[in-house]
Amino acid sequence: MMNSPSNPTPKARRPIDRWRWTGRLFLVLMLLYTAVPMIWMLLTSIKSGFAALQFPPQWWPDEPTLASYQKLLDPTNSVGRDFLRFFWNSLFVSTVTTILAVIVAVPAAYAFSRFDFPGRKFLFFAVLLRNMFPAVIFLVPLFILMRLLGLVNTHGSLILTYLTFGLPLAIWLLKGFYDNIPIQLEQAARIDGATRFQAFILVVMPLSVPGIIATAIYSFIGAWNEYIFAYTFINRNDQLTLPVGIQRFFSENTTDFPGLMAASFMMSLPVVVLFLLLQRYFVKALTEGAVKH
Amino acid sequence: MAHVVLTDLVKTYGTFKAVNNVSLRVEDGEFVALVGPSGCGKTTTLNLVAGLVPLTSGDITIGDRIVNDIDPKDRDIAMVFQNYALYPQKSVYKNLAFPLQMRKLPRDEIDLKVKEAARVLDMTHLLERKPRELSGGQQQRVALGRALVRDPAVFLMDEPLSNLDAKLRVQMRSEIKRFHQDLKATIIYVTHDQLEAVTMADKMAVMNGGFLQQYDSPATVFANPVNMFVASFIGSPAMSLVPLEVSTNNGDTALSGTEGWSMALSPLNARKVQNSTSKKVVLGARHSTIKLHKHVIAGGIPAKVYTVEPTGDVTFVQALLSGATVNISVPPTVSVAPDETVWLEFDQQRIHLFDGETEMALSAA
Ligand SMILES: Nc1ncnc2c1ncn2[C@@H]1O[C@H](COP(=O)(O)OP(=O)(O)OP(=O)(O)O)[C@@H](O)[C@H]1O
Ligand SMILES: [Mg+2]
Repeated sequence: MMNSPSNPTPKARRPIDRWRWTGRLFLVLMLLYTAVPMIWMLLTSIKSGFAALQFPPQWWPDEPTLASYQKLLDPTNSVGRDFLRFFWNSLFVSTVTTILAVIVAVPAAYAFSRFDFPGRKFLFFAVLLRNMFPAVIFLVPLFILMRLLGLVNTHGSLILTYLTFGLPLAIWLLKGFYDNIPIQLEQAARIDGATRFQAFILVVMPLSVPGIIATAIYSFIGAWNEYIFAYTFINRNDQLTLPVGIQRFFSENTTDFPGLMAASFMMSLPVVVLFLLLQRYFVKALTEGAVKH
Repeated sequence: MAHVVLTDLVKTYGTFKAVNNVSLRVEDGEFVALVGPSGCGKTTTLNLVAGLVPLTSGDITIGDRIVNDIDPKDRDIAMVFQNYALYPQKSVYKNLAFPLQMRKLPRDEIDLKVKEAARVLDMTHLLERKPRELSGGQQQRVALGRALVRDPAVFLMDEPLSNLDAKLRVQMRSEIKRFHQDLKATIIYVTHDQLEAVTMADKMAVMNGGFLQQYDSPATVFANPVNMFVASFIGSPAMSLVPLEVSTNNGDTALSGTEGWSMALSPLNARKVQNSTSKKVVLGARHSTIKLHKHVIAGGIPAKVYTVEPTGDVTFVQALLSGATVNISVPPTVSVAPDETVWLEFDQQRIHLFDGETEMALSAA
């Protein structure tokens, strides 16, 4: 059987390899699809304004320059002042959204996972219901609501809105995480002398750190990139966040493409850095929280 | 150490009664095994004693204190969980130290106690490892160690050996028994392995469907099961239970099977049978008390062999009798074949008789 001539090993392996190579090719194409625009963005940002408009386009600029970045990061000129202000606004809105999302989602998810209270199933369904509708249909109702609350043109309007979008998924993601932490760990802690709260803080919390980090990244990215609501709720220049700010800022005069690309690149930087630093947890959260049971 | 008293303990989940009026008393220093089939409420009972789930009604006394409304941490108990429940992010040392830290012991005293427990359980070399870097048996020792470092009034153990392989289980069984003898600890030990219960416990509590069936020494439970459930649950292979009819044979009370044979009864057994609520009586007999004859004998009951299982030391024969299966053990030298007719001889002193309606053991009184 082992060296049966009718079934030599190389032949048997070939189909597997073919699948593997198809898979690799597919991944390379995917990578190009996502990376080329980013590379183009980066390359354009170090061109001069003239080189950026050349046709046929130049891949690598003849005279690479960091002038666009210098301009954006220099608070003494009006462009830099605005850019830094937008950047700060975005950072503020996203960070506050993230912190609030975690503070609310952690106990909510824990309660959904552990406690059997009346209406638990219904409430959990209600939480997820929000995500079954496209976000835009809430645009007008939320705008009216924000006007009633006197929150138009404030960062509060954005933070509240982003929370309504981010929380359902955050709660769902974290609940999956808590469901996977055996209840016996908490019980053991309570017998070992911990109160319910101590058992949560000392035993459950450390185990759910990956889930919390994933939730935080998710909330942050969602808030950082959001455009439609920011565009609708905020009119005052000094309150704008980056996505809207960049767009308004650069279409006022003839468009400065290298400047636009430099700003876009710097806007994507925090998300990329955050993701690279914490992707370990993010992957763990997605595989452990949602899949393993 | 302390005694534990459960009085009319009830736990309901919705309309389902997981624990049903359970009352029992565990004496100071006693080792009690809680046994029963899966889902009979063993873990729930243990969790009630620990205070991990709220009780529906009844009283739990530990020592001289009613602990119904007392937090688990204040009940002075230690527990070993079925899945060990070691804190995965903590080293073995920190797992053992945790209960002492929570009780605010000074650091050097904690260190002393942890090292002592590690020495006793022979895992000093494992102290810096994380639980996932340990084998099942080592994890089990850590779980035991975490209960040992304190010295609580009562130990609760929920199937602590169920995840181990057969060899390790036997080894840990004697270690736990030794530990009980040395410490004179009060232990409530859940298991669905009746061999564990019989070998380790002073008393065993047999549960079924949330009800406590029998609470006595393993020897008594084995010798005098109070009902058919206990009779069939305790002992391996299970006691054979054969449904029969009460009949009269020359004026004497006898039992007859569906095949038409009848079995004479001793005067004591005859009086038991007369106490049955109906004509239906179930005959119970353990495999070792039944004699198998290859040829017809006086008083022998004919039965057809169904399967033959040689195990080396003994051969187990299953025979069909009155619609039930009867287990008989014979020496390996006896050769029987399936479908062969054999004659069974029951020992009147050692058979059990149960009421066919109520399933309770019949008594002569
Ligand atoms: N939280 C709960 N909600 C509803 N029913 C439950 C709950 N916990 C346990 N039960 C039910 O109570 C019964 C007893 O459960 P328990 O865990 O005490 O069984 P057990 O005797 O320990 O079984 P095993 O040997 O399988 O561990 C089971 O039928 C179980 O389904
Ligand atoms: Mg159990």
